[in-house]
Amino acid sequence: MIDLNERFIEKRSFFNRLIIVYAFFGIAFSFFLYQTYSLQVSEYSEYETAAIENKTKEVLVQPIRGIIYDRSGKIIVNNVPTYDLIIRPSKIRSIENFLSEISLIINLNSDELNYVKENFDLKARYNRELVVKKNLSKEEIARFEVRSYRFPNTFIDVRYSRHNNYPKLFSHAVGYVGGVSNDELTNILDSQKLPQIETIFKYSNGFQIGKTGLESTYDDLLRGKFGRKIYNVNAVGRLLDERQFIKPKNGENIFTTLDIDVQKVAYDQMDNRRGAVVAVEIDTGSIVSYVSTPSFSTNAISNGISSSEFNTLIKDKNKPFFDRASQGRYSPASTIKPAIGLFGLENNIIDWDFSLDDPGYFILPEDQRVYRGWREGGHGKVNLNKAMIVSSNTFFFSLAYQSDIYKLIDYLSNFGFGANVCADCFNPDKGLLPTPEWKMNNLNFGWYKGDTVNLGVGQGYLSATPLQLAYYSSVLANKGESKDLSFVFDKTDLKNSYIKSQNISDLDWKKLHQSMIGVIDSPIGTAKRLQELKKYIVAAKSGTVELVSTETKEDYKIIRENEGNRDHAIIIAFGPMPNPKYAVSVVIENGESGGSVAGPVAIAVLNSLLDK
Amino acid sequence: MKKELIFKNFSIYFDHYLFISITLLSVMGLFFLYSASHGDLNSVIKQSIFVGFGLCLMLILSQPDPDFYKLFSSLFIILSIALMFATMIFGKEINGAKRWLNFGFFTLQTSEIIKIALPIFLASYLYNKPLPISTKHTFITLALICFVFYLVYSQPDLGTGLVVFMAGVYILFLAGLSWKFIFTSFGLVVLSLPFLWNNFLEPFQRQRILTFIDPSNDPYGSSWNITQSKIAIGSGGMSGKGYQEGSQANLNFLPEAETDFIFAVIAEEFGFVGICILLAFFFFILLRCLYLAFNARDRFCRLTIGGLSLVFASTLFINLGMVVGIIPVVGMPMPFISKGGSSLLSFYIAFGIIISMATHKKLMQK
Repeated sequence: MIDLNERFIEKRSFFNRLIIVYAFFGIAFSFFLYQTYSLQVSEYSEYETAAIENKTKEVLVQPIRGIIYDRSGKIIVNNVPTYDLIIRPSKIRSIENFLSEISLIINLNSDELNYVKENFDLKARYNRELVVKKNLSKEEIARFEVRSYRFPNTFIDVRYSRHNNYPKLFSHAVGYVGGVSNDELTNILDSQKLPQIETIFKYSNGFQIGKTGLESTYDDLLRGKFGRKIYNVNAVGRLLDERQFIKPKNGENIFTTLDIDVQKVAYDQMDNRRGAVVAVEIDTGSIVSYVSTPSFSTNAISNGISSSEFNTLIKDKNKPFFDRASQGRYSPASTIKPAIGLFGLENNIIDWDFSLDDPGYFILPEDQRVYRGWREGGHGKVNLNKAMIVSSNTFFFSLAYQSDIYKLIDYLSNFGFGANVCADCFNPDKGLLPTPEWKMNNLNFGWYKGDTVNLGVGQGYLSATPLQLAYYSSVLANKGESKDLSFVFDKTDLKNSYIKSQNISDLDWKKLHQSMIGVIDSPIGTAKRLQELKKYIVAAKSGTVELVSTETKEDYKIIRENEGNRDHAIIIAFGPMPNPKYAVSVVIENGESGGSVAGPVAIAVLNSLLDK
Repeated sequence: MKKELIFKNFSIYFDHYLFISITLLSVMGLFFLYSASHGDLNSVIKQSIFVGFGLCLMLILSQPDPDFYKLFSSLFIILSIALMFATMIFGKEINGAKRWLNFGFFTLQTSEIIKIALPIFLASYLYNKPLPISTKHTFITLALICFVFYLVYSQPDLGTGLVVFMAGVYILFLAGLSWKFIFTSFGLVVLSLPFLWNNFLEPFQRQRILTFIDPSNDPYGSSWNITQSKIAIGSGGMSGKGYQEGSQANLNFLPEAETDFIFAVIAEEFGFVGICILLAFFFFILLRCLYLAFNARDRFCRLTIGGLSLVFASTLFINLGMVVGIIPVVGMPMPFISKGGSSLLSFYIAFGIIISMATHKKLMQK
């Protein structure tokens, strides 16, 4: 038995020690209360925000692209609503099971099945929707709706397809839309200061951007601005209800200067031959018609095309995807002659009275090399007027021979050669205006006098796109003044330019136009066959692009056995004279005759434009 | 105040302060649980059965004389250890941990029992040892504590293991462990921390501690719980979002909302004001225990009341500290509030025993 004293000591010790431990807990709980106070009171707003962010989920809502109209207000490209069957691949476990079950209700063809299988994993990874079948019929919608409870994460919704009403006419001018890579999407969203998050797509094919043509150059305008939908969500991300909806701002409509009727004429006239037609309104620089053939259906490309069809298009040796109008490089050939003639007049090398004898060839004095004309025996005595009408090579060889190459190049650049002449064309080529430096750097040869001589007839290294030729044509028509070309009305940033000249008068321009009218109207004109086709007075200059250099007609007959060796046919034209409104260029690859092959296309386009 | 309600020829031992505050806490717990379980009436009914049963058990366990507990304390500890071994063999494995024994109608977490049995046994072992406790008794006591700790720890259940360990150490300390021993062993423990870290902690436990030190290192991994818990508590603000209005709990952002993290639900819905009121009940209980310990009839009763009340305080602090992020995440329920029968019952038992110790007077003292 412990004695009383010891019991007292024990009691004191116990009390002290219990107080110590309680004091420790007092400190601990104070610390706890302090922490709770900081969380709930001092840092309240921070945690309040965090709780709201936790329970909300923001998704982007895709805007509808703008509509593209022609110059008379007819719709070229529209958004066509369809009822589509859509799934969320990220939330569907087995695509095989899903497809076998849905197939019992909605018939899927092999293309559709393959499309779903091919894209399922990708869409799942990026948490994007996948359209299983587009354009459901009313029966299909009804069949699905009554069984929809069996298909979670599957739904029917209105989706749009980008639809070109004239899918082949405008394939290169308007272009097509297509899907984006993740990087592209990030860039687009960054530009609108949006995070890359789940998006509600309004198009069957999800997010699409313009890939070519106007769809691409005006993509920013057409695209619109994304809207935002904010949902309440639970911890596993299940959407509960809508909290806020900021509507997307749909894309702006684009009113183009293109004319559907004229485009149709140009397209039909080309008749699937390889080539291009560009027609412009001279005063405004607006492009009225822009055709590259052969063509393809933009709707197929924009809205899903089977890989076999796509491969056929890609492998087609006529290259339907190639935009010949702004990317095809062709020697201007004889169509350059008006510009060379003007250069001769400006530099007082020639005047309208100057003439020389055309024996059918020109001999370069330096090396005795022979440069031939298109007609054996030549054209006899030719002045500038006749040289234009009959397209005398000798006259222009001689003129070019007397020219300073740098001055000549500088002069040609006034007509848009070697430059971009279009404000809103998709990826236009600048062609090539060769300089001695260019030749040295690229071909490792010095500039020969013969190169200058060749330039005089538009052969050799000089090349231009049909777009540039149309611009050139309009510069000639407008007596040296011009405006950059463009596809939309009221573009304010178009560059105006005019040719500075000291020695060329209005009379000279009139005489030049007269010569070009003579190309068709004169009985000796190279395009005299067009007389019966034209309804208006038209000035023109034809050209024939020699692809293989031959000495004689017999030689040409041999090489023309291979279609690819045949000369390109080319023509520039404008009318009605004397006050031209429209300028046209036509190139037909391997068409052989500028006057009689490319010419009828140009005349038909001008007729249809002027008939309006 | 100690009360003996005298009924004709027998008396009921009863402390109405403790009884009323514990009953109120338990009822509030049911109320919170209803919200934390998104209005799942089944959980609430099940829990209220435990509460009712527990309150009865507490009343019953208040009746025997402390000598009864002193006499049978060795039996209790042996039974508890046997239960631990049974758990090891027949236990129900959940998430890689074997902590539960299935009795058909009730699944018992056996470590909750030993956390009561150990301090009572140690109190009965040490109450007659002279001051300061001799080295021999100290080592015997420590050996037992470590053995029991190891049984719990190896389930694995570090949280409860620590409480069990502390329960033993509290008794040893209160019974008069020599200060020399305390300081020496404290130094040794500090020195051996790196060794313990490398050899005794499971990788997930180490990760929890690392996460605790730097919560930003893995917001959706092991610190997800604590991040969501802090958001819940912080967003409750001063006055809370209102009953059943807590988005963190209702939308399932808060993990373990019904059990370990129920405090975060309360803090979110009732704010700082609400939790201060709630904590007042806990502090009142603890202070009442302090008072009862001071007025207990003998050393055994003092040690038992002190030890059990400190087990209660430790459990509460570990739970609260973990939920607000001042200590690492260890599984620990909030006493009387969290869902779960074993923890609830263990504290009714503990307080039943505390009331018994506090209300029985020795005849000769009367």
